[in-house]
Amino acid sequence: MTSATRRHVLQYGLAGCLMGLGSKSLGATTSSGVTDSEIVLGMSAAFSGPSRGLGIELYRGASAYFEHVNRQGGIAGRKVVLKTYDDGYQPDPAVKNTLTLMLEDEVFALFGYVGTPTVTRVLPMLKKFQERQIYLFFPFTGAQPQREPPYGPFAFNLRASYRQETAGLVQNFVNIGRRRIAVFYQADAYGRSGWAGVRQALKQYGEQIVGEATYRRGSKFTGVMRDQVEILKASRPDAVICIGAYAACAAFLRDAVDLGLQVPIANVSFVGSENLLNLITQGRDDGERYTALLVNSQVVPSYHDTSIPAVKQYQELMALYAPSAPQELLTESYTPFSHSFVSLEGFLDAKMMVEILGRLGETPERGALEDAVFSITEYDLGIGEAVSFGPERRQGLQKVYYTVVDEGRFVPLHNWQTRFA
Amino acid sequence: MSMPKLFSMPRLFRKTLFGVFFLFGVIGVSTSLLSIYAVDTHLSKEYEANSKGIAKTIADASVNILLNSNLTALQSLIDQFIEIQGVSYIYITSETGEILAHTFVPGIPEEIKAGDVNSTTTVERSLPGMGDFIEVGSPILAGVAGTVRIGMDTGLIALKIQRAIGQQIYLICIIFVVGVFAAIWFVNYAAKPVDGLLNFAVGLAREQSSDGAKSQELLARNDEAGDLARLFLHFSRPTDGHGKGPQSGPDRSKE
Repeated sequence: MTSATRRHVLQYGLAGCLMGLGSKSLGATTSSGVTDSEIVLGMSAAFSGPSRGLGIELYRGASAYFEHVNRQGGIAGRKVVLKTYDDGYQPDPAVKNTLTLMLEDEVFALFGYVGTPTVTRVLPMLKKFQERQIYLFFPFTGAQPQREPPYGPFAFNLRASYRQETAGLVQNFVNIGRRRIAVFYQADAYGRSGWAGVRQALKQYGEQIVGEATYRRGSKFTGVMRDQVEILKASRPDAVICIGAYAACAAFLRDAVDLGLQVPIANVSFVGSENLLNLITQGRDDGERYTALLVNSQVVPSYHDTSIPAVKQYQELMALYAPSAPQELLTESYTPFSHSFVSLEGFLDAKMMVEILGRLGETPERGALEDAVFSITEYDLGIGEAVSFGPERRQGLQKVYYTVVDEGRFVPLHNWQTRFA
Repeated sequence: MSMPKLFSMPRLFRKTLFGVFFLFGVIGVSTSLLSIYAVDTHLSKEYEANSKGIAKTIADASVNILLNSNLTALQSLIDQFIEIQGVSYIYITSETGEILAHTFVPGIPEEIKAGDVNSTTTVERSLPGMGDFIEVGSPILAGVAGTVRIGMDTGLIALKIQRAIGQQIYLICIIFVVGVFAAIWFVNYAAKPVDGLLNFAVGLAREQSSDGAKSQELLARNDEAGDLARLFLHFSRPTDGHGKGPQSGPDRSKE
């Protein structure tokens, strides 16, 4: 734990003790993580390392909405507090942070975790401490373990799954005659999740993955991906689907174009599109050469489209509050984006969370959380897709969006045939 | 004790000293070779047994995961085992031989793809760019659900053997140095009376007096050097007029 994080923990710990004492004297404590004035949610995410952009942007988007709600009086008079820890996108710190959040901080619920390798290791802990009824809300991963037994009952997802994203990418590629699909993926649970999604989708068309190459989690943009490109080139693919984080995927894209792998290269939503675009184009005059065949799937609509009510609100609140990353967790420099798909997702996650917390009434209790979530049916989140939850439906949204780079920014892809045929 | 003194040692004892060194060398080398063999055999067997244990653990833990087709959880499982020291790669195949999860970067080596991925026998592999490995396997659900195979880095075994042998050589070197100094000291200690005897005999030959303190000390010794000194003295005395030798021989009563 860094000294900054320790200070952060001490600060919150002291505040928590004072709040605990205060609430006990008033006899108003309703559940762990809830006082008369606050509802505390716990978040462990990447705020350092090559994937820190994901944790920071997700936090910023969520903070914008929570700040908005808090300034308007909070939820039944209680402010939403997001208690954060850095796990650097590594499983072991994520597990330790979760233990701290559950057992020491006693947060009301877990919220906005980032990554498959981290979340898949945290899920068994939720089962272990199931009597505490701590749920994980809206992790930033589309993997299956938190959507299926045995750990599905301990999590709620908002975003579409990697299975849906990869199925959509495969379907669109096959529709335009690109049937030979290779996969470039992170050598861990996240990469395997996407790989399995592509494999399953291709099966429906009687096809198999024609080539695969991997990289180690934590690889930087300065790393070389030539071996991976050569492996995939040898399989003569019609398209490559990448299941990775932005630094490694940008490095792969760079080397693929430089080595003449001229096929569409797709990424799933986790990649962090703006971070990837920033890396691949910064300091280059020929950025278009690298992005011409790039296509990224998204699980939220375009943040440029202000005709969508939630996007309009997102833009307004991001501008109004200009949320920053949790300063005490930052160990490396980071320049935030004014808008991004990741921060929009964080914003929508927070909006959904506030709706759920609001349904708990005056005395929020963990035991009532599940029923509150299941009471949400056909709820209008403001993005044109109704959200529903239920015992057999632990994922609120299903839609996948596709984007390409035009004039230096990601825009919706309307015609695959024209773009990639 | 200086080296010049070593080389001023009587030739008779130099041979003894070199004999001691030779014997020590033979003991040292043979002990080291035996030790290398024992350490190599022991560590290799232990390594293989541990590898099989890990493979079986993964195989047992994989059954439900594989039957539920949860490949993400399967990968998460093997990612935890790859952190064990010595485990270089893990891959899990389906019953049809398809590799469902693995830890290879940047890709699955051709040697692995070309091999019998469902075999559970132990093989030695040399993978270009990766190194040399002992690969062990374990069936999942008696092989009807697939196979787990683990590659253990033989470089680590070699390193452990080198370390064990290095420690032994270090110990032998210390014993050798102490032994050398001890042998030189003992040989010199043994050679000192012989040196004195030689000087005594030379003195007698030059008809010098044998009354000096060193001569008396030598003559007073109750060992072979004393006996020889007294014998030399006896023979050096002039004979009587009857052609008889010296009046008295060496005194053996002191023995």
